[in-house]
This record gives sequence, C-alpha cells and structure tokens, in this order.
Amino acid sequence: METQIREPIIVCRGVNKWFGEFQALRDVSVEVMPQEVVVVIGPSGSGKSTFIRCINRLEEHQEGEIIVADVRLTHDVRNIATIRREIGMVFQQFNLFPHLTVLQNISLAPINVRNWSRDKAESKARELLARVGIPEQADKYPGQLSGGQQQRVAIARALAMEPKIMLFDEPTSALDPEMVREVLDVMKELAGSGMTMVVVTHEMGFAREVADRVLFFDQGRIVEEGTPDHFFDNPQHPRTKLFLSQIL
Amino acid sequence: MTTASDPRRSSALLDTATVVNYDEPPYKTPPALVVGPLAWVRDNLLSSPFNIALTIVSGILLIVLPISFFGWVVGQANWFVINFNLRQFMVGRYEVDAEWRVALVVLMVAFTIGALLAAFSYVSRRLPILVGIVVALCFIVPLAINTVLPLPPTYLAAGDADIVSGSSTQPPVPNLGFVARTGETVRLRIAEDLSADDPTLTTLHGFGDIGANLLRASAAGRLTNEARIVEIDALFAADLPNARILTDNQRAVLETERGRLAVTPPITESTALNTRSIRWRLLDATLEPIGSGTLAPGDPFASVTLPADGWYILEKTGAGTALLETYGIYPLIERNFTRSEVRDESGVVTQQAERYNEYLRMTDSWITRAIRPEIDGDPVPMTIIIDTQYRGDRSLNDYLRVYLAPFLEATNDALLWIVIAAVFGFGVARLADRVIPSPVKALKPRAVSQRMGIYLLVALPVLMFVFIYGIGIGGVLPITDTRRWGGLLLTIMLSMVGIIASFPLGVLLALGRRSKLPVVSAASTIYIEFVRGVPLIAVLFMAQLLVPLISPTLAEVDNVFRAMVGIILFSAAYLAENVRGGLQAIPPGQEEAAKALGLAGWQVTVFVTLPQALRLVIPALVGQFISLLKDTSLVAIVGMVDLTGIAQSTVAQTEFLGTRREVYIFITIIYFVFCYVMAAISRRLEASGSGAARRV
Repeated sequence: METQIREPIIVCRGVNKWFGEFQALRDVSVEVMPQEVVVVIGPSGSGKSTFIRCINRLEEHQEGEIIVADVRLTHDVRNIATIRREIGMVFQQFNLFPHLTVLQNISLAPINVRNWSRDKAESKARELLARVGIPEQADKYPGQLSGGQQQRVAIARALAMEPKIMLFDEPTSALDPEMVREVLDVMKELAGSGMTMVVVTHEMGFAREVADRVLFFDQGRIVEEGTPDHFFDNPQHPRTKLFLSQIL
Repeated sequence: MTTASDPRRSSALLDTATVVNYDEPPYKTPPALVVGPLAWVRDNLLSSPFNIALTIVSGILLIVLPISFFGWVVGQANWFVINFNLRQFMVGRYEVDAEWRVALVVLMVAFTIGALLAAFSYVSRRLPILVGIVVALCFIVPLAINTVLPLPPTYLAAGDADIVSGSSTQPPVPNLGFVARTGETVRLRIAEDLSADDPTLTTLHGFGDIGANLLRASAAGRLTNEARIVEIDALFAADLPNARILTDNQRAVLETERGRLAVTPPITESTALNTRSIRWRLLDATLEPIGSGTLAPGDPFASVTLPADGWYILEKTGAGTALLETYGIYPLIERNFTRSEVRDESGVVTQQAERYNEYLRMTDSWITRAIRPEIDGDPVPMTIIIDTQYRGDRSLNDYLRVYLAPFLEATNDALLWIVIAAVFGFGVARLADRVIPSPVKALKPRAVSQRMGIYLLVALPVLMFVFIYGIGIGGVLPITDTRRWGGLLLTIMLSMVGIIASFPLGVLLALGRRSKLPVVSAASTIYIEFVRGVPLIAVLFMAQLLVPLISPTLAEVDNVFRAMVGIILFSAAYLAENVRGGLQAIPPGQEEAAKALGLAGWQVTVFVTLPQALRLVIPALVGQFISLLKDTSLVAIVGMVDLTGIAQSTVAQTEFLGTRREVYIFITIIYFVFCYVMAAISRRLEASGSGAARRV
C-alpha cells in the first residue's frame, strides 16, 4: 500500500489574536491532517475556544494566516462563506433554534445554503437523526428534548452540511454526567468513520481513546503537543505536568 | 483536632446503618382537595382583617355601582341617539349606493373568522349553542316586546291659561301637528289620574310637550319648597329635645330663606287642573276635520282612526288648564335635504335641484316627506323631539319598548348574516380538511385549513381596501369619495392600513438601527428619535396642513391617505424600538450557530433571529397595535369624522344635546370589543407553535 502524501486540511501559521489590549493567541502554529482527530485541552482562559473559533471565522485573527482546505481566511466574505460550508461546529450551549422543530433545525442550512430540495434535506436529516440515535424526535421542538438529545441534534445539524471538518467547543461541558456518555459515543462513531475533528474538551478519557493528537494550550500558546500516549504517560513541560496532576 | 463534644463525632451518628430500599412506594393520585365553597370564602375572602374589610368594600361597590348604573341606563338615558345615528356611527356619510360593499366586506371578515376558528382554535360544543341562543333572542325579544308592551302615552297641555313654573312660562298651543299612518288610531282623554294632588302629578312619565313638563316641574318645585319650609320650622322650634342651638347669623340666614319661600296652594288646585272640559278637533293635512268632540274630566277615551299616511293636526281648546293623555301622537325629527342640479356631459339636466324635508317618527322610525301644513300662513307647531321628550323616570316597560326593541330590530339582521357567514367559513374550513388531501395529514390534521386560513388572512386587508375604496378602471367598482368615510369604517380602515404597513417598516428600521453600516444606522436612529419626540397630533397636523405647502401635487392626495401615511410613519418608529428590544434579547450563540452552518447574514436574520425576536415581543407589538387603534381617534381633530368624530358631531346636534354619556359609552364599548379581540389573538399567538413547547 502506498502512503500518499497528504496535504494538511487546516494550516495555522503564527496566528496572533488580541481582544483590545489583551492577547488571546500568541504565535499559534498547527497543521491538521485530513481524518485526524485533534483534542485541545488546557485551563480556562487559555485560548482554546478562541483558537477553534478563529478557524471558522467566528473570531477574527489579527496576525498570521489560517488556511482551510486550500482557502485562505481573509476579510473576503466569499472565502469565509466557502470555508463555513465545509466546517461544522458544535457548541457547548447547543445553540439549537428553539422556534424550529428538530427536523427543521437540521434541514435549514442544506435547503438554504446548498439549495437542496426539501425532500432531499429532510430524508438526509432523518438519516442523520438515526445515526445519532434519536430518530423518533424529528418533530419535537428543542425545548422538549433533554440536554444529551439536544447536543446530538446539534451534531446532526452540523453533519447535514456534509462538512469536511467538525469543530467541537466543549460539547459535553453543559451536560449531566449520565448524558455525557451518549454524546461521546456519537463523537467516537464520527471519528471512527474518518471525519477530521478538532475537539476542545475536558474529557480525558475521550482524548486518550480517540485522539490522534493532543494539544495543550496555556495563556494563548501551545505548550505541548503529542500523541495521547506521550501526553498522558510522559508529559515533558512542567506546565503540562502541573495541569495533568490537577485534573487526573 | 476534634473534641469529644464535637457533635459530628457523637457516638449516635457513628453507627450509620446501611439502608437499601428495594421496594418502590406506589404512585398514588393526589388527595382530593377538601375545599367547599364556604371554606374557599373563609380562606380567600375572610382570612385577615384587611381581607375582610376589602371584601366588604368590594361587595358594596359590586352591588351598588351596577344597580345605580343600570338604574340610569333604564330610567334616564336617552338611547334614541344611538338608534337614530347607527348608520353614521358605522360608516359615516359613505355613499348609500356603495353600502353593499361594506356589507360584503363585513361578511368576508366573518367568513375569515369562522375559517380561522376552525383551523386554529378548539371550539367547544357549547359555543354554537350559545351563539344560536343569542341570535334567536335578538329576534324573539323585540317581537315579544312589541307585541306585549304598549307604547307610552304622550301628555299634551291644553286650555287657554299660561302655564308657569319658576321663571318659565308656556303660553297655550291650540294646534299641534304630527305624522301618522293609515289605519292607526289616535286616542285621547283627560289624564284624570294625574290631577289628584301634586305628588301624583310629579310621577308623570311618558312623552310630554313643554306644557306638560312645566306642570310637572312646578309641582315638583312646590313640593321641594314645602319640604324645605318644614325643615326650617323644625330648626326654629326651640322646645324640641334635639333642636340644635343656632347662632344669630345662622338664624338670620334661615329667616331670609323662610321669607322667600311661601306656602303656595297645590298646583293641581291653583291651576284648576283638569276641572273643565276640552274641545278637540282632528284635522287632516288639508285642514279638513276628520273627528271632533268634547272631553270632560272622567270621560273615557275618544278615538279616531286615520284614513291616510301623512300629517294631522290636533286642535285642543278650552278654558283653564288640562292635561291630555294621548296615544298615537309621537315625537318627530325633521331633516332638511337639498340636492343640487346634476348635468351630464352634454349639459342636459339629468336631475333637478330640489329641496325637501323628511320627518321621522321616533317610536317606529317611519319616514314621510309629506309637506308640513300651515295655519294662517305659519307652519303648524309639531311634536318635535326637542320639545316632546320622554319626561320623568322611565319605567322598564317603556325602556324596552321605545329603546331596546328598536335597537335590536335595527341590528338583528346584520348579526344573523354575520353569524351565518362565520358558520359558513367554519364549515368550509372543516370540509377542506376532510376532502382535500395533504401529505402531512397524519401529523397535522388541520394543515389544509390552516394554510387556507393564512391565505385568507393575508388577502383580507387587500380585499377590504379594494372594495371600500374601489378601483377606478373598468367602472366595476367606482372609487368612493374618501371625504365621506366616517365612523367605525374610517377607524378600521385607518387602523388596518396603519398596522399592516407600519409593521414591515418598523422591522426594517429596527434592523437598520442595529446595522453595522454607519450611514444606515445613523439614518434609522435619527428617524426613530425624531418621530418618537413628536406627538401624533403634530404629525397629523403636519400631514394635513404642511404637506400641501411643500408640494402642490401632494396637496391633491386625499386627507384620509395623508392621515394614513402619518399614522404609518409614527407607529413604525415605536414598533422599531420594540423589535429592537427583541433582537437584543436573542442569545448571540444563535447567530454564531447559524453563521457556523454557512447561512448568509440576511438568511440568519430572516430564518433565525427575526422569528425568535418577533415571537418574544408579541405582547409589546400587539400593545402598540391596540394603541394605534385608539390613537386613530385623533383624526377627529384634523377634521375627519372617525368613530370619535361622529360621537362629537352627534352630541353637538340640537336634538341630542345632553346625550354625551350615552354616546361615549356606546363608542367605548365598540373600541373595547375590538381591542379585546386583538389582545385575545395575541394570547393565542404566544401559546402557539414553538411557544407552547418552549421551556424557559
């Protein structure tokens, strides 16, 4: 079997971001390969959420370059739109649209952005709902679902656009411990099916099991990165060791 | 370090037993609330001294106020002003030829309401029964009243003596003109049962001319004086055990007053009321006698059957003073009409100029154009409604017969047609659901009727405007003169156009104010703040008076349209702020999620942010619409006669002077009904769709 030379699907070089005077990202440089699962961990305020929000332009970086699927992220609205179509994002607060049913939530973007027909979008939506394990909730409103179900709907909604990359911003932090498992199972299945994922999380078990690479952020910069085995069994940087000793 | 006295270390707690609950307690129904009505009263109304006081005060108010109010409604209020002006209140001076359009529009609205009820509401079984009963009553009640209850009599003063009361003097009126129809009977006799003594005379109630009223008033005045004299004498009597001690000043004042009041003989005696005979003649319009006779006190009714429609004159002469009780002679309203000459294109006169009078009889609204007769060159005095009013406290029978029955008769046809149209709409919607197939039938059984209802609702304002205003081309629906729009018609048109047009404008302004583009944001802000700083009256004045000065072409725009534009621009600013409040309340995560999905800016607004924001501010929006409906009454100040304007002009007419309360109560009820309906719709809207499923 030949190993193909694969181009990284996300490239960040020297990314710096300021919120006013405060610098949130300092010289962040990362390359993410297609089908790679990257888990980002770090203390709160370390810039990990800011980092992945910069990838789909929910935040603007002031210095450095971010290139996603060969499209450079600039102020050009068309670039941003192209990139956002290929990236799906799952939020900590779910952010489902409360005035639409679950089915409408999932099919809204494909109908209006990819111009699919309503039938095609709805059948894809039902398929995704089955994939995340809640096909019977299709006609309920988000307010009628539990937290774990809502987050799974959010994942299905992001998957409906058939993105190349999925970003997860602490997807299980707002869930009861009992529901965390069902969401993590979906994410594991997604990783197993070959999706490129960048996940910000505190779930170390998930990182150890599923991640191809772990990044440790602290105060706006990447302190250490490596495979899960290296990271959890043999951390090098004292900051990393301190962090791990506090959470494990 | 813990000590032996530390409660956490007490030995009782050290032996924590392990308890495992394998058995589950069963789910039970909640205990029945043991609350009878007495217990409810005790707990809610009489629970504390303050509560008891509140209950007593409210109880008194709740009993006393309605009783006195309904006492006024039945006994004293003049409801003829409503009955007579009903058309004005509803449509103002709208062309008579175009009235069918208003009827059609009302039926369309009723149809839509029926369809919407079927599509969106749960209609209980009791509602149609209730509606049926109400409609049936509106027909049965006037019929019953007119069959069972007689019309009140008209009391006329007769004789050659002047009648005096206080400073008013009424010289005798020998001839009195009135209108009547073929076959009606005029009956008259001397009202002996009122001439026993003064207290009985004051109980006179029925239609009466000025003379009858003066007799009653002077009797009442004399009785008041008598009572006051007795009072003053009691105060002077010093030997009574509970007499008050009077100061010299008070004594002097009372003595002056006593001196002014004189114990006069009773009116019935001093005027020798009803002691002598009256000669009477009934003349037709050509002054030919069709009946005559003499009435002595105690004689039974004399009666004459009238041979034809038109004018008649009652001639009543005799010595002294007499009070006649008559039936068949009722108050009139005179209306003057002029029609100008109408020429067609070639100058040929198609309609002559004419001037004519109409006489409308109050008790049954019969109208005649017969010419009023003259005696010796002067028009005969007639039973005009200003002079020949209902005097005295009205009995319930008279209220029902003279005011309630005619009102119900005037409105029951319209009510029936409205109910029929609503039921028809309801039936069509239900039928549509049953017959027309729909892919989502299992999930949303009323999908078809709901869609139909929405289409109707959207089309309705357009149709209303087209029909009421007309289309110029084609000659099918000629354009009506908007200067003739008035009453409820004008109020509804102004409000409807105002609400429907200001809503999108308000939303655009709200989005504009939140826009990141500085020019758009600044322009929206300036507009909103300027308009909100100016009262609606000023906006209306500017629209009416200043706009023509700016541009001559704009001066040709109808007044009504100028007012509409003013109202739209005014309301949009307030709506914009309400909507902006809603937009601000949407969590930013919504916009982020939508953007992350790839939706463009406008798509985010239209599909995600705006629907949620609008649902949030439904109470504020509908509140603004309700205000708008009532603010349209301000156009009365710029010369248009909407419902309030008609009320003002009605009260200013001589025939209806002093009927302020009745008229304003009537329009209050109308405004209340419309505003309450809007509020009820708002509550339904909030509870529908995702609102019902929303968990906070």
